[in-house]
Amino acid sequence: MSKQLKGAIVNSKSGVQNTIIDLLLKSIEKGVFNAVLISMKTPAKDSFVYVLAEDKSLIKDGFILPPTMFVQGAKAVSSITRLGKGNLKIAVIMRPCEVRAIIELAKLGQTNLENITLISIDCPGVLPSSDFLDNPDKSIKAFNEAVKNWDDSIMRPVCKICDKSSMISGDLHVGTLGAKKDTIFIISNSEKGNEFADKLGINLKDNIDTWLSQVKKLSEEKRNKRKKLHEEIKSKIGGINNLVETFSQCINCHNCMRVCPVCICRLCYFDSDNVKFPADDYLFRAKDKGSMRFLPDTMLFQMGRMMHMSISCVSCGACEDACSMSIPVAQIFSMIADETQGLFDYVSGRSLDEPIPIVDYRKEELSEVED
Amino acid sequence: MTKDEFMPKIIAFLCNWCSYAGADLAGTSRIKYPPSILPIRVMCSSRVDPLFILKAYLNGADGILVAGCHPGDCHYQEGNYYARRRFAMLKTIVDETGLESDRIRLSWVSASEGQKYAKVATEFTDQVKKLGNNSAKNKIFL
Amino acid sequence: MTKTLKLNKSTDEGVIDLLRFLLDNKKIGGVFSLKKIEKDKTVAYCLITDSDELKDAVPFFPLMPVNAGNLLSRFTLKSVPKKPIVAVVKPCEMRGFVELIKREQGSLENIFIISFTCGGVFPTKTQVDKTLYKNIEKYWDSAKKGEIFSDLRPTCKACDEFVPYNADITVDIVGKNDFDKKCLMFLNTKLSEDLTKDFKGELSTGDLDSKKIEKIKLDRLNEKKKLYDEIGEKLNGIDGLIDIFGKCISCHGCSKVCPICYCTLCEFESPDSEYKPSNFESELQKRGGIRVPPGTVYFHLGRLTHISISCVACGACDDVCPVDIPVALIFKKIGESLQKRFDYVSGKNIDEKIPLITFNKEEFTEIEE
Repeated sequence: MSKQLKGAIVNSKSGVQNTIIDLLLKSIEKGVFNAVLISMKTPAKDSFVYVLAEDKSLIKDGFILPPTMFVQGAKAVSSITRLGKGNLKIAVIMRPCEVRAIIELAKLGQTNLENITLISIDCPGVLPSSDFLDNPDKSIKAFNEAVKNWDDSIMRPVCKICDKSSMISGDLHVGTLGAKKDTIFIISNSEKGNEFADKLGINLKDNIDTWLSQVKKLSEEKRNKRKKLHEEIKSKIGGINNLVETFSQCINCHNCMRVCPVCICRLCYFDSDNVKFPADDYLFRAKDKGSMRFLPDTMLFQMGRMMHMSISCVSCGACEDACSMSIPVAQIFSMIADETQGLFDYVSGRSLDEPIPIVDYRKEELSEVED
Repeated sequence: MTKDEFMPKIIAFLCNWCSYAGADLAGTSRIKYPPSILPIRVMCSSRVDPLFILKAYLNGADGILVAGCHPGDCHYQEGNYYARRRFAMLKTIVDETGLESDRIRLSWVSASEGQKYAKVATEFTDQVKKLGNNSAKNKIFL
Repeated sequence: MTKTLKLNKSTDEGVIDLLRFLLDNKKIGGVFSLKKIEKDKTVAYCLITDSDELKDAVPFFPLMPVNAGNLLSRFTLKSVPKKPIVAVVKPCEMRGFVELIKREQGSLENIFIISFTCGGVFPTKTQVDKTLYKNIEKYWDSAKKGEIFSDLRPTCKACDEFVPYNADITVDIVGKNDFDKKCLMFLNTKLSEDLTKDFKGELSTGDLDSKKIEKIKLDRLNEKKKLYDEIGEKLNGIDGLIDIFGKCISCHGCSKVCPICYCTLCEFESPDSEYKPSNFESELQKRGGIRVPPGTVYFHLGRLTHISISCVACGACDDVCPVDIPVALIFKKIGESLQKRFDYVSGKNIDEKIPLITFNKEEFTEIEE
């Protein structure tokens, strides 16, 4: 980040959740925001969903760090401001990968951030949806324990290897790591963030070195785990036989594509007329080996999707949770995404000023791929 | 009507050739009926997609009325027959999901039936008043 | 009395032998069937053109990774095959295909259907966690006795449409206690008689054992009543709907795997259903808060109005739902109620128009006023 981060140490004696909710309520009172996009428990208490709320009693029931991420937050934000900035000033509080996806969507013209203030929070990970669905109450308790101890052993596989779980790409960030007891860091990364702090009487002049060093340490550890797991995945899926075997159970339901925040096409190429052929074409292909899986082109879908979106993948893991056949899609796609983004020294959603590499070029580059 | 009395909001889809004209006639004849109806003119009752009725219901409309020409008199020959079938389908779904099917109603009102229109409006308003406010108005998790 | 073909071998072997005969003698261009693929023997539908590949075919395997109605529709959507193709599909898959044909999404021309009396399928997740393979023997035991196996899709346990309508060949399986030794096929159409003309087997006449079928039907109806009562309690108005569909993440997976949902661009994904910023503002003013993405209950009720008239209760929607909402049972219950009201059984008769595109001059007087 080229901007200088500015931080304040804020009293959080009432708990991190209550402190932030109070700040949000105060900011609505002062007219800094008109509404908040925050996670809430469903009436049946069996899940957490995003709610755009302006009513105080609703916001009081919000969760800034819910144990599940059934809907990737970027999809929620995009649904509100895809068609324009609207008149409401909205505060959005989400995990770093969701904020990164929102930034990426802004670059893709899928969301207008003019009236949105993005607030992220240090993230220990999120529970796999199947574990949560088995026993919601037990899971919530286990998650709260895990947050206390910053323990990622029960989180999504891609969360366990996430080295960007404290990355700041939005306007504000709530830093819980490295903070003294009963305090948190409120860190601003933009003009909007500075204004927020100013209007709420938060003086952004404190030293955030302890947060920075703790984050650096944890990211290093995660990066090592990440490299290791990615090597394992490469050997597991490497080569056409392993690839086909890994995706053999795929039923082409396309759930992964539809829950992905950066898969934005209203009509996906792989659902369009381009993949519908006359009967005898299919028969002709089947005759090649004497038998052909129907519908064919499962690998084309998976690798095609990789090619289309890996440059913007934020490794959130929504795809793996949604997969009806429990294929480790997120682990595979996040490994590929690291490679494709690494080619351009790009990190998806890191900054609004960085264009997506596929729509940019240099006159001299990548000479290793041409001849 | 007292200040606190509940005046329901009833969305009425009225077909241009019959029921809308009938409603007009009720007006020009100065026949009184409760101010609960919000009319929407459609060319034919078969223009009414069941999704319109559903959306109105879920947005909190206390009642939804669909009114068209009498069967056999449709300006487009057959529209109201299809409308009747779609309405029967929607009623079944609304019943099966435990929603209040008395909040939706299908009536046939011809262009000369100003009295009937007022009667339908009055009866339906009374029926909906008994059901009270549609709680879908306040639901956040819809 | 229907013409029958009997073979002194297991039903699996008998049907595969017939398919091999038809392929080898070039009477057909290909076979659609479930088949074991890949090293881990995943079961998936395959288009088979070489009879050698039939060795891995498992046409009656109790799994439905995809509703074959979708596959046959895709196969015949752009054009029909020049040579006949045989498809071995379950009764609900055939009915799904028939409903799609009524919507001009496919054709039965040169498609020859073999179906069977169906004992139900396992949920797809049992193939993932391998419990299917642990339970498969017990499944076949139950199928022999015509009993409902415990770990099936709920819609299968409650299915009383397990005898196929209008297949070219019906294979007797459920309740047939010697299906592992004898193969009995009913040749329902002239086409099936022609195609099997030179195939070696004992020709005779007969009908499905109606007493046995009635008993199985009764068991299924009892199970259906139980499941309907359970779900019926939850379907109680706006609050009930919010409770059931609260965890829905609007992934629309249920719509994508449904055979009847064929729209390339779904109404609920089109710009028509998109909320503008002004919509959010007015909703906030009215309610103080709104769930995002909005329109969850609207999507499900709307999908009911679109497809429940043709729902074949296959249960594919249940299996694909990432948050375990009992969509299939809800759609089955409401679909059945709706179809009864119009005296319609979805997929039963290809010449019967979908009730919403036809009418009688006098009907439903009870709903009009």
